[in-house]
Parts: sequence; structure tokens; C-alpha cells
Amino acid sequence: MIMNKESATLKTGARAIMVRSLVQIVRRPLLWIAMIGLPLFMFLFVTSMFEKGLPTRIPAAIVDRDGTSLSRQITQTLGGMQMVDLKETPQSYTEARHAMQEGRIYGFFLIPENFEADLLSGRSPEISFYTNMVYFVPGSLLFKTFKATAVYTKAGVAVSVAQSAGQNPETAAPLLQPINIAARPIGNPQLNYGIYLANSFIPAVLQLMIMLVTVFSLGQEIKRHTSTRLLRMARGSIFRAVYSKLLPQTVIWWVMAVFMVSWLYKYNHFTMQGSWGWMILSELLFVMAAQSFALFVFGLLPNLRLSLSVCALTGILSFSIAAFSFPEESMYPAMSIFSWLMPVRYNFLIYADQALNGRDIFYSRIWYVAYIAYIVLPVTVMWRIKRFMAKPVYAP
Amino acid sequence: MKRIREFFAGIFRVYCREFKLVLKDPGIILFITFLPLAYPVIYSLIYNPELVKDVPMVVVDNDRSPLSRQLVREIDACDQARVIGYAADLPEARRAMDSHKCFAILEIPGGFGRKIGRSESASAAMYCDMSLLLRYRGFLVAATEVMQAMGGELSTEKLNLVAPLAETIVTEDLLPIENISMGNIRNGFDSFIMPGVLILILHQCIVLALGMAGGARREKASAIGYNPHNNARYIPATMIGQMLCYSTLLALPALYMIHYVPLMFRFPMEGNLLEEMAFLMPMLAACFGIGFVLQAFTTERESVFVSWVVTSLIFLLLSGLIWPRYDMYGVWKAMSDICPATWAVEGFVKMNANGAALWQVRHEYLMLWLNAAGWLAAGYCAQRWCVLPSIYGKSRKSVDKEVLPTRS
Repeated sequence: MIMNKESATLKTGARAIMVRSLVQIVRRPLLWIAMIGLPLFMFLFVTSMFEKGLPTRIPAAIVDRDGTSLSRQITQTLGGMQMVDLKETPQSYTEARHAMQEGRIYGFFLIPENFEADLLSGRSPEISFYTNMVYFVPGSLLFKTFKATAVYTKAGVAVSVAQSAGQNPETAAPLLQPINIAARPIGNPQLNYGIYLANSFIPAVLQLMIMLVTVFSLGQEIKRHTSTRLLRMARGSIFRAVYSKLLPQTVIWWVMAVFMVSWLYKYNHFTMQGSWGWMILSELLFVMAAQSFALFVFGLLPNLRLSLSVCALTGILSFSIAAFSFPEESMYPAMSIFSWLMPVRYNFLIYADQALNGRDIFYSRIWYVAYIAYIVLPVTVMWRIKRFMAKPVYAP
Repeated sequence: MKRIREFFAGIFRVYCREFKLVLKDPGIILFITFLPLAYPVIYSLIYNPELVKDVPMVVVDNDRSPLSRQLVREIDACDQARVIGYAADLPEARRAMDSHKCFAILEIPGGFGRKIGRSESASAAMYCDMSLLLRYRGFLVAATEVMQAMGGELSTEKLNLVAPLAETIVTEDLLPIENISMGNIRNGFDSFIMPGVLILILHQCIVLALGMAGGARREKASAIGYNPHNNARYIPATMIGQMLCYSTLLALPALYMIHYVPLMFRFPMEGNLLEEMAFLMPMLAACFGIGFVLQAFTTERESVFVSWVVTSLIFLLLSGLIWPRYDMYGVWKAMSDICPATWAVEGFVKMNANGAALWQVRHEYLMLWLNAAGWLAAGYCAQRWCVLPSIYGKSRKSVDKEVLPTRS
């Protein structure tokens, strides 16, 4: 009797479901945070963290065991480098190593005893430098600076040898570096870490939040046993039920995605060599692909907690497996397959093609098709979602 | 005296009952078994090849001289790069790069060999794809090495030609340069990132499990099928009892993560295991504190996924592993100061990879203890004024009485 009364007043149709879905979002502060607060914070956080591009003035040390004018000259050269801040002057290797272990310096340069004397008498003294590669970025930058200093020193010595043999210093200079290979980093000439990481991490954050919210909101229907009502509102059509429910979320995510594009390429001036239209289309499809991926997971595992666990697992793993830092072709083949299963992988490839390199859309066509494949994918599990929605059982 | 006895009895009762609750909750079991056992392995497998090798490259050789061919051969021989072919001109090479067949183009200009023959300096250009810095880094290292090796040979040859007197001096390397990578001797990516990530996984296991337990406490008992309440008369006793229970359950997974995972994947293991365990104690305590605070915001078991999972990334970026802490903006640095994960990652990495002893990471250790104290105090406040009143819907005083466990 109550059922009949309720169904008599129950508004049905797609519009009613959309209004209901919107009201659910408005009533749940958790969803405001997840859909707007956290993504916005992450946009700001990631770009601001890498705003300087590269860390400069990395704490380092020089161990001068020689103490001659030549070794002091090397110290001055090194100290003048932009990347290095010679913070400490340890007297021995052990002291320098301790400073490195305690994290006060990220690397040190070692000039051996009798350096100048050995050099002048042709006994080939060895200079060495140590970098702490546990911290990859400062370690690599220090390596580069130390190496440059060592090479300059060597060049200076070679010039004086050539001069002592009667060579004119002007003509001796090209002899020191006969071959020069100039690296031309396309699209990121300053080696800006922000351009490199923010463009992949921020969409990955969006993907994670989209997947979690999608599964969470659908799972809530089953958990709270409201899914039968939802089905009745959709007049029994699972497609109408699910898609009308998700559409208001899609619109919110679209707004976030378009804001993300403008945040990255407009406000932060990250490299944008391609067309805005294709980038925005990519983000819009990406939102739908991530939602569909989550919907597919939910169809396979209509248990709220399990599907959330799978989405959290894949969402967080995406940061690694989607090959934003370690290239996919260098992974084990068995692992690299999974790289192609994440929607954000295609987002990254389109970004690299379109925004970073400004390639013709022809070269990215397959990545867009992949998005569409994701969007079609959940159709195969809709019957399962309908079955579980019709008879909701909550398992903690 | 009676109060003290009651306090300890409370701890013991909460400790025992919490086991039963955890075992009934498949969600928490997943967090304290699957997460610490499987996650580190999956993660380590992704990065386990460690190095980026043989990245494809296309050459545009406009010189076609023996020297230009030698240059290409030597770059090809480097570990990092692999020459997949020659292109007739730059547009053709660009097409190869656009269709993702290669990630760099080496362009050797005409007259390259002749310039060297004339004792001038000859230069070539290498255009690199910048989507991944590791690829670029590999190309750069290869180019620098070839530049120096070939350049060294040529200049020795030339020097001896123009100044035969110098021959005695320059036949061998004038000034050998040696570089040593510390901590992560292979410069591998896995060895760099994983020790820190292991700590973050441990951190998130605890916070997520506690958050989910908090959600269960605030849901209707009928919805989740069991009564999740477990309180002693004194809130600290409840907290200590629960902490001890989770510590017991996590002891083996934690040992597995900080000792056996590095062993399996050959990560650097320079530290003393006992010192590392002692070092991580305050981190565990601080994580429990964060978990207790999170409970104040968790009204449902599953909402921890939506609200907390993304923080893993925040903690990773704040930890200083990717961007050094000394160069962070003040606000982020301050934020990273109050994250136990920051200090735990810093200290653990120093001990594990650089072989620092506990006394060398005393600053991190002290900060961890301060964090533990702060977060546990915050956790107490969250329990006292937020979680318990919201469960019992009454003022703290009456909660105190009702909270007493029924002796059954």
C-alpha cells in the first residue's frame, strides 16, 4: 500500500533523477570536498611546489686536502656555480660522508693531497666527486655541476700544458673540446620540473577523484537501499538510471577539467604548442572515460567497499604505472601492459603530443579512440548493475 | 590505586575486543594485510628495471664523414641510447618522432668532420622529447660521455701534433675524474623512490584502517552487522588499547615492508634493522594520532577512500623525496613539518640507503616524537569532543558512564 502511494507521487524520468543526484551532491559536504575542494587544492599544491622549475643552491661541500692556490681556485669556481651552495668545509672524507648521511649536504667534491704538485709533475692526480643519489633531483643536478667543474679544471690544465709547449692560448681552446653536442629540450627548455610533473600528476589526481566519487555515489544507492527507488524513477531502465545520475557529476567534472586546462596552460604558462580545442576535447573525454572505467569496475564488483578499493588501488597506482616518470618501454613487459589500461595514460600521451610537442592530430588519433572505447566499455556490465540495484544487499 | 587498576584493565579489555572487531571487518583486514603485503611488491615491480636503457634515437647525418659515423656509433654504443636509423632530413626525422618511434634526433651538420680536421670545434644538435625527464637525462648522459671520450682522444692527438714536446705528458689522462653515486649506487629509479614509498604505505595502512574503524563506530550497528563499539572508562585507555591491537597486527607486515621487501628487490640496505624499528616507533604513534583525528571527520566506513586516499600524493610530495625540503615555499615546508611521513621518510632513507646511525638522524627522531605527541593530543581531543559525543549524542559526562563496557 505504502509502495503504491509512493510510486504515485514519485517523479520519474531522467530530469527527476538528475535533480535528485544534484541534491545528493549538495547535501553531502564530503562530495564538495572530493569534487571541488581537494582537486582545487591539488592543482594549487602541485604547481606551487614546482613553481621554481628546478631547485637551485643545493647544499654541498668541498673537501680540500691540498690547500694550494690551484685547489682554492677550484673551490672558487665551484662556489660560483648557480646550482651549488658550499655550506660546509669538512676536513676529511669521513667528515663529509657524515654530513651527507645526516642530510646536511647532498654531495661533495674531493681534491686529494699534493694535488697541485702531482699535477705539475705529470703524476695524474685524481679528482673525485660524490653525489647522494638517494635524492634523485638534487643528486643529478649536483652531478652535472660537479662534472662541469671537473671538466673546466681539466681544460684549464690542458691549456697550460699546450701553452708550455709553445701553443698560442687562443688556438689551444678549440682543441680542448673538439666536439660539442648541444641538447635541445623541445617544449621545456628550462627543464622545468613543474611542466614535467604537473601536467601528468594533476590529471591523475582528477582521475582518482572521479573514479572514487563515481563508485561512491553508485555504491551509496545500494548501501542505503535506495537503488530500487532509483530504478523506479528510471522506469526500469538501468541506462536511464545510471547515466542520469552520473550526468550532473560529469558536468561538475567538466568544469573542473576545463579549469585545469586553463590553470595549467593559461595561468601557469606551461608549454602549449598545439590547439586548445583538441586539448579541451581530450579533457572532456577523459572525464567520461574515467567515470566509465569506474562504472565498469562497479559493474564487476558491485560491493561498495571492494569497488572503492579497486578504484583507489588503480587510481594511486596510475601515478606509477601510467609511466609519468619511468618510461613504459623500460618496464617489464608484463607490467607495462597495465600501463595501457589506465585512462590517464591516454591523457598523458595526448598532452605530450598536443600541448608539449604541438604535433598533428593525426598522430594522436588512437589515443582519442581509446577514450571512446572506455566510454563504451560499461555497457557490457550494465545488466549486472541492474541486477544488484534491483536487489540491493550491503556487505560491509 | 583503584583508578590505575581500572585504567589498565580498560586497556586490556579494549585490546582484546578490538581484535574481535577487526577480524569481523573485511575492510580493515584488507588494509592491514593486502595493502602492506601486496602493494609494495606491485610498486617495486613497476620500477624494478631501475634504469632507462636503449631509448630509440634517429640520426640526420648531413656530413657523412668517418668522424660523423664514429660519433653515431659511439652514441649507439652507450647504454642509454639506441640509434634506430638514419633519416634523410629533419622533416623525415620529425615524422619518426611524431609517430612515437623515437624520442630524440641527432642532427650532425655538414662540414662536421672538416671542422675537426681544421682544429676547430664542431657541434651537433640533439633534439629531445621532454615528456619524460628520465629519457632526456639518459640522452644527455650519453651525449656528454661521447663528447668527452671522443673529444679527449681527438685533443690528445691534436695536442701531440701541434706540440710534440708535450707528448710525454699528455699520452695518458692528465687529470682523471671519478664520480661516485652514494646511497643508490646504480642510480636506479626503484632504489630511489621505493624506500620512501614503503614508509608512506605503512603510514597510510594505519590511518586508513583507523579511519575505517572510526566510520564503523559512527554507523548504525544494524547496517554493518555487528556492534563496533569498544570503549574503556578513560579515553586514553581506549586509545592505547586500540593502538596496541593494531600495532600487534601490523608488526609482521611492517617488518616485512622495511626488511624483506628491500631484500627481495635489492634496494639499498645499509641501516641497522633494530635502529630502524626504534626510529619508526614514534611514526606509528603519530599515525595513530592522525587516524584518531580522521575519525572525527569520518561518518561512514567507506568515506575514508574518498577523503583520504589522495593524501598519499600530498605526503609524497611533502616528504622531500621528489623536491628537496630546503627549497620548498614556507607554507609547504611548515605543512611538511607537521606530517610524520616527512620525518619518517627522511630519516628512514638516510638510515636505509646512506647508512646513517640513529644518532645521526636525531633531528628527525625528535621531530617524530614531537609529531607523535601533537597528533595523539589532537586525537584525544577529537575523540573527547567530537567522536564520542556524536556517537552517544549526549554530553561528555553521561557518555563517560555509558561507555563503560558491559561485562558479558
